[in-house]
Amino acid sequence: MPVIEVNLEDFRELLGRDVSIEELQDRLPMMGTSWEGVTEDGFHLEVFPNRPDLLSIEGLARAYSSWTGARTGLRSYPVVKSGYRVVVDEKTQDVRPWFVTAVVKNVEFDDPLIRSIIQMQEKLHVTHGRRRRKVAIGLHSLEPIEFPVTYTTKPPEFKFRPLGERFEKDLTWILGEMKTGKEYAWTVEGFKEYPMILDKKGMVLSMPPIINGEYTRIDESTTELFIDVTGTDLKAITEVLNVICVTLADRGAEIHEVHNHYPDGSVLTTPNLEPWVMDLDNDYVNHTLGYEFTPQESARELEKMGHGTEINGNVIKVLIPSYRADIMHPIDLVEDIAIGYDYDNFEPEIPPISSEAGEDPLEVFSRGLRNFLVGLGLLEVVTFMMSNRDKLFKRMSLPEEPICETDNPKMEAYDSLRNRLLPNLMEVLSTNKHHPYPQNLYEVDDVVVIDPSTETGARSRRRLAIALCHSSASFSEIKATMNTVLENLELEAEVVEGGWDCFIEGRRFTAMLGGEPLCWAGEVKPEVLERWELEIPVAALEMDVNLLFKAQMG
Amino acid sequence: MNPREVAERLHENERKVLQALSGRGTATTEELSRLTGLARDAVEKASDWAATKGVVSFKEEVSQFFSLTDEGSVYAENGLPEQNLRKLLVHGPQEIAKLKQTFENLNIALAWMRRNGWADIQNGVMELTDEGKKVDDPPEKRLLRALDKPTPQSGEAFTEDETPVLEQMVKRKLVTKHEETERSVAITDFGRQVLPELEAAESVNVITQLTPEMLVNKSWRGASFQRYDVTLPAPSLSPGKRHFISQVIDYIRRFWVELGFKEMKGEYLELSFWNFDALYQPQDHPARDLADTFYMKTPYSGQLPDPKMVEQVKETHENGWTTGSLGWRYRWDPEVAARNCLRTHTTSLSVKQIAKLTPDDLPAKFFSCGRVFRNETIDWNHLAEFYQTDGIVIGEGVTFRNMKGYLKAYMEGLGVEKFRFRPGYFPYTEMSMEAEVWIEERGEWMELFGAGMFRPEVVKPLIGIDVPVLAWGPGFDRLVMQSYKVNTIKELYTNDIGLLRRAKLWME
Repeated sequence: MPVIEVNLEDFRELLGRDVSIEELQDRLPMMGTSWEGVTEDGFHLEVFPNRPDLLSIEGLARAYSSWTGARTGLRSYPVVKSGYRVVVDEKTQDVRPWFVTAVVKNVEFDDPLIRSIIQMQEKLHVTHGRRRRKVAIGLHSLEPIEFPVTYTTKPPEFKFRPLGERFEKDLTWILGEMKTGKEYAWTVEGFKEYPMILDKKGMVLSMPPIINGEYTRIDESTTELFIDVTGTDLKAITEVLNVICVTLADRGAEIHEVHNHYPDGSVLTTPNLEPWVMDLDNDYVNHTLGYEFTPQESARELEKMGHGTEINGNVIKVLIPSYRADIMHPIDLVEDIAIGYDYDNFEPEIPPISSEAGEDPLEVFSRGLRNFLVGLGLLEVVTFMMSNRDKLFKRMSLPEEPICETDNPKMEAYDSLRNRLLPNLMEVLSTNKHHPYPQNLYEVDDVVVIDPSTETGARSRRRLAIALCHSSASFSEIKATMNTVLENLELEAEVVEGGWDCFIEGRRFTAMLGGEPLCWAGEVKPEVLERWELEIPVAALEMDVNLLFKAQMG
Repeated sequence: MNPREVAERLHENERKVLQALSGRGTATTEELSRLTGLARDAVEKASDWAATKGVVSFKEEVSQFFSLTDEGSVYAENGLPEQNLRKLLVHGPQEIAKLKQTFENLNIALAWMRRNGWADIQNGVMELTDEGKKVDDPPEKRLLRALDKPTPQSGEAFTEDETPVLEQMVKRKLVTKHEETERSVAITDFGRQVLPELEAAESVNVITQLTPEMLVNKSWRGASFQRYDVTLPAPSLSPGKRHFISQVIDYIRRFWVELGFKEMKGEYLELSFWNFDALYQPQDHPARDLADTFYMKTPYSGQLPDPKMVEQVKETHENGWTTGSLGWRYRWDPEVAARNCLRTHTTSLSVKQIAKLTPDDLPAKFFSCGRVFRNETIDWNHLAEFYQTDGIVIGEGVTFRNMKGYLKAYMEGLGVEKFRFRPGYFPYTEMSMEAEVWIEERGEWMELFGAGMFRPEVVKPLIGIDVPVLAWGPGFDRLVMQSYKVNTIKELYTNDIGLLRRAKLWME
């Protein structure tokens, strides 16, 4: 989740009072953020990804002054009528179809604002923008631009002077050589022509979402901006444009509309900073929160969250600010009421719900088994479920078989799910050679095997594995161990010669229960011990606990 | 302790040692072995014990031993060369040239004669000095004889006058010297007070190890038991034992059950549908990235469940269906939902459970406890798999205040004293909250786990009605780490047998 850096002096100036760092540390988290620590001149704050409006210090001050009651209710952000016109070319519709814009005047670009805007732009690109693929923002000096502006595409050999370069470069060079080109080339991969924003003179404003042109470079003397937001999702780019516009407006800037002409003949006039409306039933509020707010009280809390309200009986007509991207259901307004009222102020209460309680029977059975094995002097281990073919098969001298494998592991040592427990016990033994023997271990846990009959094609099985490792570990000891387990469950299995290849031939068996294999056991082959770098004999078994459980339940 | 008490606590062997020392006061362990009839190591051990009780003390003595070299042995038999030459010269001066022909070891004899000042040489003729004429038997001769024995001789056998001569002979390589450090045991004053008590203690039959034989022949009757020093260390054992994580999981299960929850179980390998889509996470949500989630190569994808419910989930993502939501407004792709992954949270079990319920099953409370997976590069603080536990309460009339009620009980059950619940964010809950604990040492709040009420967009497509669901998913690794003084999460899962054997039992 994005973390922003806030300068305390800037924040105080925007808020209009000398708020203390202690107050902010205590209160900001209760408004729905996460405190990340004090810095030299302010603090770090984590903002939730559904609240892009809090990614700027202006937005944070706006929300905090409302929430603390200093300035509640809907704020109006007027948009000046104008004749600015941009044209969206048909060619963009297959690659990056959406384009919204705004003109902003009377901007005073001092240090705090520049810092804030850059930070907000970066964070928006990462979170909301999905690393610029879904949303990308371009800020331009309005002054050189001659309208109408055109959003179109250009072939790779097209040339312009990208921001920070002295000469014109072609698009292939930009994507292959420039730092930002290389970083974001993936967003335009496979395109025959690349998105391009030009003005009437054919001068390039931007190659979204890669880089702007030198033509519209912003500096400290810039007072008028042209803002473009491009992307793959109209809702997302509109929200981002609105968030940027209100942030600038909070600093005293004047927002002007732009008419975006789409190839289907429709015209989208942006930005639209008017609130939108959702009806909220006050019963729903109380029903959900377990409270008895009057509609007036609910409305008051909504106003603390920046909304406008009109009360009609039991229904509150909520005017939702244009920059709030997170409201999609009345439940989101209910949460705003809860936050407005403060989570701390709700009395905890446990409802008188009686319902059937209990553990899963297999878990109860497994716990009985675990405790019994402890009585045999065995030490329980808990190992990873993720493993690899080398451990599961090669080191164990077991034949390869289909197992569940991941597609994109960051570490090859953990690219599959174990289909047996025993290899993990061998691994534990091999990493504990410096500890005194005997080392008699067990694990009762799940493995995952391929099973085409299930929803996913795999399913988990509960297994028990035991490894006895000491200088005289033997076949008879491991067989006696199995017998003791079965006797204590009043079960009897039929022992058949043969079984897993990790055991010495003639000293291994498979125990059958009701015609199904229940247990595989024997003395571990010396070559297997050698591969685990063990110099002490091991006798081991692995048992199907699901089968054991089923048989025991009768 | 008084002498009597100590006397009773002495082991048979300690008693023997003490009595052996009663006359002489000090003896080497070798001597004690002879005197007591015990083996040397038994004497050593008994003396060590006795020393801890203050009845004996140890002294270390360095003894010197001397023996002849091969050269020394020859001279012991034939006499020293210079001595032989002097005897020859007593009869009158001799020409060197002549001596060279007849006298053995002439050079050695000449060197030492000169050094001793026994003779002068003039014009190739050698003559005794007055000193040389006076010399009778030099001490070397006596010493050579004394040392001419099969075993080395102790330095104590020689007089003070002889010692420098002996050293000289060592330098001359006629004699070798070696040192032996000997530990000797001395009775202390306290030991002397204990001695008289020994007899009293000994007059009864003292039993060290009670044997089956003694029980059969009843020889234990009238006997007394040797008193042990019960403070002495005993060897440590390697117990059969539950893994500490496994103990904690038992505890957590019991904890949920005591709160009236029923356990839900499910699969590790899950459809993306259950892990993400059913939780109303849009298909382009960053949490679904390859970077965080393990997707399967085998089995690559599975079968989506009940088509009617899948359709409801799809509609909800695309346009909100009948949930009253706007939806995420994108085209939902069933292929993406059918992709298999390893569950990233046990919340997948909660939604699967909800889908199995009908309105008649409500209200209900469920919990789960199991492993979840994250595609991480494993290091000391990141693991690819770890445990999570999830709880849900579902039923008409369940509220946000109830959520706080359960969480408060939960926190108090975990023994957390100062905690708070602040707003949080999860794509599938609204209200969302974070449970935080106050860490006094750091003077700040620490997130412990997330909680919330499932969004209507999650619940309604699964069960068909909009019913409130409280959900929370506390991790417990941090709790376990704190309890076991383990600093990094990886140590929890290393299965170090030493750690497992000595780790404290979870007694809650």
